[in-house]
Amino acid sequence: MYKRTKFFDLSYYKFIGSWAWILHRLAGLALIFYLCLHIWVINTLTLGPDKFNQVMTFLGSPLFKFLEVGLWGVILFHAFNGVRIVIVDFFKGSLFHKKLFVILVAIAVVLWAIGSYLLLSHIQWAG
Amino acid sequence: MKKNFKETSKTGAIAWLLQRISAVVLFVLLMFHFFTYHFITSTTPGWEKVVSKMQSPWFNLLQFLFLITALYHGLNGVWMVVEDYIHSKFWRIFVFGLILFVGSSLLFIGTATILKISNLELMELVKGVSK
Repeated sequence: MYKRTKFFDLSYYKFIGSWAWILHRLAGLALIFYLCLHIWVINTLTLGPDKFNQVMTFLGSPLFKFLEVGLWGVILFHAFNGVRIVIVDFFKGSLFHKKLFVILVAIAVVLWAIGSYLLLSHIQWAG
Repeated sequence: MKKNFKETSKTGAIAWLLQRISAVVLFVLLMFHFFTYHFITSTTPGWEKVVSKMQSPWFNLLQFLFLITALYHGLNGVWMVVEDYIHSKFWRIFVFGLILFVGSSLLFIGTATILKISNLELMELVKGVSK
């Protein structure tokens, strides 16, 4: 039989691992939502240059570029916390997973800053 | 013993392992995808620029691998969340069906995009013949 899980048991949230777990989940759900939209939108490539360039100009507006910066952040969190999960599961990472979390998130923040600069430099302010 | 083995085969251990393997593959492919598209295109959002990238078979193979691992990892992740919170048999089957439908549709759309764009001349030919 299944044991019912509480949707959000706050008593666990004094530990960094619980936050990593719930944020990883929420980030994952956001990413699958984005992936669905992304595959669908990129299909406009098959409709020819005019349609595709029209869509890309629309997505080059400041609003979407800032959303893309957010996307890059969510991706980096999910990816680097994922690295932590793999280290915990296969390489005895449970002995130092909190330290590992801080280090990996720090690397992610640096990559986030670099990527965000590149993304924001593409903004077409005129469009 | 036999009974125990049958039970463990239903605990999702294989899904767990595949989720980690696909994660490692995705980490590499996603960085590759971001550095070849999101970071360097769109100063001049160009259909030509993207299409010219997609003429290399090796590049397309990596893209296809990215498509299937991302869809598998993402939808398997959704299923893991479902297993934690949805307990009624009806809703589990319903959501499983939904996941299969969304997954196969997106696999179809994504594969069609790659195949059509990498064979544009062939596509024109097919269009010409069907007219």
